[in-house]
Amino acid sequence: MASVTFKNVTKKFGLNEVLHDVSLQIADQEFLVLVGPSGCGKSTLLRMLAGLEETTEGEIHIGDRLVNHLPPRSREIAMVFQDYALYPHMTVAENMSFGLRLKGIDLGEIDRRVLKAANILHIEPLLRRTPRQLSGGQRQRVAIGRAIVREPKVFLFDEPLSNLDAKLREEMRIEIAKLHQKLATTIIYVTHDQVEAMTLASRIAVVNAGQIQQVGAPTEVFGRPENVFVAGFIGSPTMNFIEGELARAGGGLRFKTAGVDVPVMGGPAGGPPSSLDRSGTPAVLGVRPEAIHIDRGDAPADGAVPAEVEVVELLGYRKNVHLKVGAAGAKVLASVGAAEGSEPGEKVSLRFDPAGLHLFEKATGRRIR
Amino acid sequence: MTESGASLESLRALRLHRRREALKTALIHGALILACAACVYPLLRILAVSLRPGDRIISTDLALIPQGATWASYVKVFTETNFLFWLWNSLVITVATSVAGVALASTAAYAFSRFKFPGAKLGLSLLLGTQMLPAGMLLLPLFLMIMRLRLMNTYLGMVIAYSVSSLPFSIWILKGYYDTIPRSLEEAALVDGTSVFGAFYRIVLPLSTPALAIAFLFNFTQAWNEYLVARVILTDSFKYTWTLGLFDLQGQYLTQWGMFAAASLLVTIPVMGVFLYSSKWLLTGMTLGGVKG
Repeated sequence: MASVTFKNVTKKFGLNEVLHDVSLQIADQEFLVLVGPSGCGKSTLLRMLAGLEETTEGEIHIGDRLVNHLPPRSREIAMVFQDYALYPHMTVAENMSFGLRLKGIDLGEIDRRVLKAANILHIEPLLRRTPRQLSGGQRQRVAIGRAIVREPKVFLFDEPLSNLDAKLREEMRIEIAKLHQKLATTIIYVTHDQVEAMTLASRIAVVNAGQIQQVGAPTEVFGRPENVFVAGFIGSPTMNFIEGELARAGGGLRFKTAGVDVPVMGGPAGGPPSSLDRSGTPAVLGVRPEAIHIDRGDAPADGAVPAEVEVVELLGYRKNVHLKVGAAGAKVLASVGAAEGSEPGEKVSLRFDPAGLHLFEKATGRRIR
Repeated sequence: MTESGASLESLRALRLHRRREALKTALIHGALILACAACVYPLLRILAVSLRPGDRIISTDLALIPQGATWASYVKVFTETNFLFWLWNSLVITVATSVAGVALASTAAYAFSRFKFPGAKLGLSLLLGTQMLPAGMLLLPLFLMIMRLRLMNTYLGMVIAYSVSSLPFSIWILKGYYDTIPRSLEEAALVDGTSVFGAFYRIVLPLSTPALAIAFLFNFTQAWNEYLVARVILTDSFKYTWTLGLFDLQGQYLTQWGMFAAASLLVTIPVMGVFLYSSKWLLTGMTLGGVKG
């Protein structure tokens, strides 16, 4: 078990810089999830830690040890690959014991560790099979088993569930969460799926365009996104954004655009006095779909936003209501209870729950505190 | 049209389709049988000649086993010529060539497949280019090279000459195969504790048996059947390969066709053996199931 430190790490492929001055500290036994869209550099960061990519600049430490120039085998890590990467010409047992045999560990000890891992992952009946005789989910378990038997200091998972179907993905997600509790080891997990990130992580690092956008506990990243990218990336359905301007009114601060006039002072989105100073600045209002209430035909209250229902999608226990807001016709999605009865074409008014409002600078995309 | 009319129509169409398919199959099989006959016929004629008494190559007899068939030509091949010497020389040179050729090609192809280095693309194109030159053109440079290395009339000289000429083809075959093996397998092996060579040796090589078998067979048949280079490098009749030896049976005035035919048939046995044995390695699909799918 060990901590991991990235210190001012940069990665270039030829002239193309894909990671820019990344610094990140991961504590011992922490479950850190690197999440971001495809091509953001999250897998490259993991592969640099594994030693599969060279580090162009900066330092990577595992525990106290600088590992920049160590080959993968000397880094005491284990990695689970997106495509499982099981050796096709070996049985499950041979796949799992491959690393131990290379180390020259006593055969009795190898068998003990393989059986223990197989027991944890419920794959004992598969030990004599070859990878081609396994289903996708079984292969993934074997790949995880191969990592467990090595008893590494750090586990690396590179999008391990992205090739599984939805049901299996959910099952394996729970298995991985249990595994972390059982093994109490440092885990670094790469995914583009923000649901995986939210459910598994002790901390999330959101990566975009080769930079870390925000690091924090899932509730913190969800509740106080640092910028428009994080706000849009974390949360499902995604946050609504309305562009407008901040204005001072009656001692408070309001967000205004054509047809929208919402008080924003006092909520978690912004507080005096710093927000008051920003009167007149162009801003982006972020509203979580769950923070929108639809009022049908009631007299509009203060801050109510007139809107028109475009499409209603029933998801079973919830409904997604797609709306057109304001004179500019900004698209807004509200996630409401299944009993909500609005119809396409209906004129309604929307109330925003202050706890689900977020304000960002339009120019930089940064959160307004 | 009524429903039953429509279904009658479709049944008729189906019957017609079946008939057409049957005719197509019959034609394909007929063509294949003809091709097989064309391949087997010369072999059967040689068998007939080898069993014929005397040294007659031309005969009006079409029988597969000629009248008065005798093993005499086979006995004479072993007792009156250096056939066993030639066979031994050929075998040593061919096996050594095949092993050296595959060893060199498998590592060179891996470098071309996995590493970026200056001149990689040019190197591959040049390798392909050498295959376009007629064999006769390479004869003189090969002769000069082997002579300057003082390897005339040696096994080593022959092995070098043969393996270098088969290398480009083997490298291309193997590189193409390596390219289909997912890199993540080697990366998993690196994380598991192998070196780069270890990942190649323990993971990539065992998965490449079909391509290795093809490269081995190619080297084997090339070296086993080669005549021209051997003629230039080997002058000592005790170092002759069977191709040179066999040619010696053809005299200016008299050719011992019976012995020639018998020896020709005997030398096909090792090649056939190697083909039959290696066919099990030619099975593809070893990498299936190792990665997602």
